[in-house]
Amino acid sequence: MINGALYKRGMKGSIKLLIILCAVITLYVSVIISMYEPELAKLLDSYVELLPEMMAAVGMKAGATSLVGFMCDYLYGFILIIFPMLFCFLRGNGLIAKYVDNSSMVSLLAAPVRRWKVALTQMFVMISGICILVIYTTILEYVCAEHGFPGELELKTLLALNCGLFCLHLFIGGICFLASCLFSNSKYSTGFGVGIPIFMYAEKMLVNMGGSAEKAKYFTFFSLFNPEGIASGESGAMIGAMVLFAGGIVLFILGVAAFSKKDLHI
Amino acid sequence: MSVINVQNLTRDYGAGRGIFDVSFSIEKGEVFGFLGPNGAGKTTTIRHLMGFLKSQSGKCSVEGLDCWKDSATIQARLGYVPGEISFFDDMTGDEYLAFMEKYRRIGTDSRKNELLDFFELDPRGKIKKMSKGMKQKLGLVTAMMHDPDVLIFDEPTSGLDPLMQSRFVEFVEAEKKRGKTILLSSHMFEEVERTCDRIGIIRNGKLVAVDSVEALRKRHVRSYTVTLDTKELAASFANDFGGLLDGQKVTVMTKQSLEEIFMNYYGGEKND
Repeated sequence: MINGALYKRGMKGSIKLLIILCAVITLYVSVIISMYEPELAKLLDSYVELLPEMMAAVGMKAGATSLVGFMCDYLYGFILIIFPMLFCFLRGNGLIAKYVDNSSMVSLLAAPVRRWKVALTQMFVMISGICILVIYTTILEYVCAEHGFPGELELKTLLALNCGLFCLHLFIGGICFLASCLFSNSKYSTGFGVGIPIFMYAEKMLVNMGGSAEKAKYFTFFSLFNPEGIASGESGAMIGAMVLFAGGIVLFILGVAAFSKKDLHI
Repeated sequence: MSVINVQNLTRDYGAGRGIFDVSFSIEKGEVFGFLGPNGAGKTTTIRHLMGFLKSQSGKCSVEGLDCWKDSATIQARLGYVPGEISFFDDMTGDEYLAFMEKYRRIGTDSRKNELLDFFELDPRGKIKKMSKGMKQKLGLVTAMMHDPDVLIFDEPTSGLDPLMQSRFVEFVEAEKKRGKTILLSSHMFEEVERTCDRIGIIRNGKLVAVDSVEALRKRHVRSYTVTLDTKELAASFANDFGGLLDGQKVTVMTKQSLEEIFMNYYGGEKND
């Protein structure tokens, strides 16, 4: 179904980036979970009182009473969105469009490997990277929580939360991958692959700040990811995550189809 | 049955660019030269054969298989050296060749070492740091290590020194003897003249002539009859210029080189 040699090359190209992102995530997650102390939570709350718009924009609200609630507020609004998204941005262009742009795609297509197989292999490289990041985050969060606050974090809730996170990043990865397949020029591939998610994230920040911008929530896919809702088992939040998952799969399939059909001036 | 078959292939890029109604076929074991200046449509035609582009109208096939639909099947027995080669710059030549062997699933039948020796290429070292000639050699080895039956070369000797160019000609002749079908695109007359059985000349996207090298030459033989003052002069003139002596008259013939023939098709009108 996929080409092993190409998959290995793709993963080799991801590994450095994955290590760096995992290191950054380790730093933030361990520090923030260790900050879950009533006094420190109060300190963060005082920031929220001081700069309500700023803190709300990055998804941080006051009064998180449980560890999960605390994590939803301080991790799932910004850090765990931005860093895996960075992976999608940086790899999305590199997996297809860069090969076409610098013509080295010739090496891959002047061989008995079908185009859809090349694209599918690259798609699995992308999804594997997202999986690795989310699985690593899950283990890290669980270890940190068990170490600092034994019994405070329910594994089931954490898994549900991170499944939701995976769905969100699958969708973002889908956007980057589709852009990479559609455009033969790295400039446009990066422009659309990065531009659309960043624009939508900026909209989400506006929505978080409340006020008249609230209506914008219907125009950003980030509204479909509701960590608090997933943690408390709301069905609406679950459906949102499923929509993201389905949408992500559709975007990836569209990318593979577009790449298989397009004219390549290579 | 011909191995490579191009029928009324058209791709219009607008403003007179593209290829228009190109038809030719190449028999098994034949070396076909595809001659034309830059921008005439050689590479566009080859991209159709490689399955990179879908034809707007007309069709092309290799060994009876459609170049767009069955490209992966065709590629198993085809070797391609592009005009502008780009590899994965992050790899060394060795790593690249090892990757391609695995990617193509060549296994133990690889002719890699034989070809590396033949072209005197040392594939160690980063591809990024290689000279154009070395990259060209690497491209030749990559395209032929799976011992394909059909070879497509797009300006294969650009970047090679004269010694390597004749090494390449040797290679083409040897492969031809082994029954390979070869399409060789070039803007260099000598290259094509030395290796090809038939030549197609393309200009502004239209195929203007397809003929054997001999026939193209024959069509362009010119003879002159000169009358000289004395028989002695005529005799020495005939001797010097290899003419036919008839009393005071000498007939000399000139064969146009392929280059001149080429200029006949291209001269006059501006090729834009």
